[in-house]
Amino acid sequence: MINTRRSTVAALALGLTLVSAACSSDSKKVSEASSTTAASTATTGASTATTGGSATTAAPASSAAPASSAAPDTTTATTDSGAAPSGTVTIGVEQEWDCMDWMGSCGGSTYGSWSAQYFTTARPYDYVKGSDGEWAYKASNLLTGEPTISSDGLTVTYKINPKAVWNDGKPITSTDFKYTWDQVAHGKDIYDTSVYKDVSAVDDSDPATVVVTYSKVNASWQDLFESYGLYPSHILDGKDRDAETKDGYTWSAGPYQLVKWDKGVGATFEPNPNYWGTKSKIAKIEEKFFADTAAEFQAFKAGEVDTIGPQPQLDAIDAINAGGLPGKSVVDGNTGNVEALWINNAAAPFDDVAVRQAFAYAIDRDAIVNKLFGGIGVTKAVQSLNPPILAKYSDQAAFAGYTLSLDKVTSTLTAAGYAKGSDGIWAKGGKKLSFVLKSTAGNKRRELTEQVLQTQLKAAGFDMTISEQKAGDLFGTQLPAGDYVVALYAQTATTLSPGLSTIFLSTNIPSDANNNSGQNWTRTNIDGLDPLLTTVDTETDPAKRAAAAKSADDLLAKNVASLPLDPLPNIGFYGDKISGDFSVNVVQGPWWNINTWTVKS
Amino acid sequence: MIKFIARRVLFSIPVLVISSFIVFWGIRKTFDPTAKYRTSKDAARLIAEKRKEFGLDKPIVVQWWNWATKFVRGDWGVSTSTNGKVTDMVSRALGFTVQLIFWGVVISLVIAVVSGVYSAVRQYSVADVAFTGLSYLGVAMPPFWFALLAIQFLSVEPKLHWHLAHPIVYFVGLHSTGQSGFNLDYIRHLALPVLTLTVQTVAVWSRFQRAAMLDVLSADYIRTARAKGLPRRKVIFKHALRNALLPLVSQTAVDAGALFGGLIITESIFSIPGMGRLFLAGLLAGDVNVILAWMLVGAVFVILFNLLADVVYGFLDPRIRVT
Repeated sequence: MINTRRSTVAALALGLTLVSAACSSDSKKVSEASSTTAASTATTGASTATTGGSATTAAPASSAAPASSAAPDTTTATTDSGAAPSGTVTIGVEQEWDCMDWMGSCGGSTYGSWSAQYFTTARPYDYVKGSDGEWAYKASNLLTGEPTISSDGLTVTYKINPKAVWNDGKPITSTDFKYTWDQVAHGKDIYDTSVYKDVSAVDDSDPATVVVTYSKVNASWQDLFESYGLYPSHILDGKDRDAETKDGYTWSAGPYQLVKWDKGVGATFEPNPNYWGTKSKIAKIEEKFFADTAAEFQAFKAGEVDTIGPQPQLDAIDAINAGGLPGKSVVDGNTGNVEALWINNAAAPFDDVAVRQAFAYAIDRDAIVNKLFGGIGVTKAVQSLNPPILAKYSDQAAFAGYTLSLDKVTSTLTAAGYAKGSDGIWAKGGKKLSFVLKSTAGNKRRELTEQVLQTQLKAAGFDMTISEQKAGDLFGTQLPAGDYVVALYAQTATTLSPGLSTIFLSTNIPSDANNNSGQNWTRTNIDGLDPLLTTVDTETDPAKRAAAAKSADDLLAKNVASLPLDPLPNIGFYGDKISGDFSVNVVQGPWWNINTWTVKS
Repeated sequence: MIKFIARRVLFSIPVLVISSFIVFWGIRKTFDPTAKYRTSKDAARLIAEKRKEFGLDKPIVVQWWNWATKFVRGDWGVSTSTNGKVTDMVSRALGFTVQLIFWGVVISLVIAVVSGVYSAVRQYSVADVAFTGLSYLGVAMPPFWFALLAIQFLSVEPKLHWHLAHPIVYFVGLHSTGQSGFNLDYIRHLALPVLTLTVQTVAVWSRFQRAAMLDVLSADYIRTARAKGLPRRKVIFKHALRNALLPLVSQTAVDAGALFGGLIITESIFSIPGMGRLFLAGLLAGDVNVILAWMLVGAVFVILFNLLADVVYGFLDPRIRVT
């Protein structure tokens, strides 16, 4: 019996010890990791000072090594008015980012960009909404003014703002631009090298001037250095960039610097004391990662988080319509998204333009948008395959002629040789107008869209069946292979440059010539379209570029290469505890100007 | 006993080897880890790089063998999603799940044993009927639904109704920012996820305990003990309970082992980055290294807890001799 009791006590003690260790293990790991980071960065600073004789300001190691709780000079940070920043804003982040090497293959997370990348990196351009409501590039405070482009479009010169410094106090120089370009163009494991690969050289002979030379004209030259921001050469040069950044970095050229990334749980940011732009009025940003949208809304309702930026899914819209949420919400349909019915132009029966046109006349797209987003004020379908933010490079009324008209369905299909069968379905040569609509499984918004479509199309004489696919299968295999007829999904623009050539240029139809990696998955091949899209890619005159883009849009609409539906509105929620100018930046998300917010006392 | 344990461990090795290959093959056939790069504007270069890096250009058996030989040497590979070490990801997730399971199992056991024994001893009493009804309710309630109700009525509503600065119990993570260790903040974070976990386990386990206790109470040796004039309390707790615990021990061990990989819903709703969420994220990304590591860790725990059940079984019942 004594042995039994001893065993029981021992087992209980062991269990408690294990749990106790588990309870505190995570925080220990974070602090250990932070210490390691601090140590390695400090070493970096030392070696840079020793080997890189060009280091202009020999900042002390502690300054060059901002890490976790020992981040540099945070306590001395002040706002522009001289007051110390105060309060904490807690952000609910719907998806944790995979890594913080933004240019690496593990980067590319929208929420990572919104809630970490834009807080800590600098880039030549800001995304600004003009008084006309259109988004445009505007030179950021990283530069002294707009870059200049040579008359042949091959050389772009940037002048760096002399006030621009990293958070360790070292100036941002042309070498940082060169390092960033070199990593993207020639480094390993890069997510996307477009634009960068057209650059032949970056001249950093003058630390304050960056001269970028292109090997061929690229009309999207303003996208250079935008997607990834600048990386600090004085910290990363000669090192494994991905290893140094993927688990978080403490350098910053943005308004905040990372203090801690507790994986799976959240992240903490504090103001960058050396930020030369509008200094943060907030002392700390806490981020909490959510895996469940319902819990995210409950947390916002309960005040556990002060702001959220959910995806426009039905549960988010239901939560808005149900009311009872504190603070203010912002819904903006002027987005970089286009949810559309992407049509395989090479697959029967949609290889016939008449069928595609009849298909467009058979759908009441406004009714679908109203059903999905009417409750939050978005009621009209988009009328271009370019997203709304690219309005100046698109004809935003290109598809406006395609409204529900069963008469036009009848006339178009009858002229094409179709006749309605006894079951009410159109047929030609014994083949019915039957097709499968593919989409991603588990998306309630798309399920609802499919149900409405099915009803509308049946009334028009189309026989549509629904097939839900795993996203990996749909985007990884079926769409590239052309194994679909019509698919419902969204395309998202991450810059303000028009990019339809990627998905509609005939040379991008997957083939052996492009190693089957072309992204013209709709197999669109319309006479006269390629020259227009090529002009959009290479014409540096904005007016000529816009004209070509609009003509391309009209051609796509005339041939119904695909059918746009809705803009997937951007949504932001801002609680009662905070005040500021709340809006959703079309590229930088709902927290783009958080440094200008204040926390109410 | 040592021979028995060694034999069980040896038998489990081929099970692990075969199951790991089946999972490896299944994931490779159903998921393309390069799929997410299709949207990159220069997908051709990136996908070609990644196929080589992930070894996708090699036969599936070679891929699995390369993975397995590294795995046994402690190199569990790198996540294809995060570029992070899988060992770090699994150990971090396991730490969270261990906490949930420990408290969930301990609390569930206590409640299940007490209510089960009471229900059996006071069969058909009001309390027995109430416990039975509640257990059916507990089994019938899906965890995601119960979790959201619990958040609404135990956290959000009280906070809003009484205008509290913070909710009485939290529902995001296991600690507030800057907090760690075992303290009040931890208990306030742990309350709802553990409640969600225990509702179903208590419902099932208390039924086991009640049935086992009823079985034992009708046994001859209990009748004999009572006929000898032993006090009722002594008969129940010394003679009946020990034997009536046997089925529950087996059930607890099996359930606890399985829980190490299966708290997907609870962990997702309460934003706890444990093994369940790791599995879900790995599965959605086709991250074969993460899924395989998760599966093997889960399998090891199932085997370990089954072994533990056998050992404890023999310990509780001297009639059972392990040979």
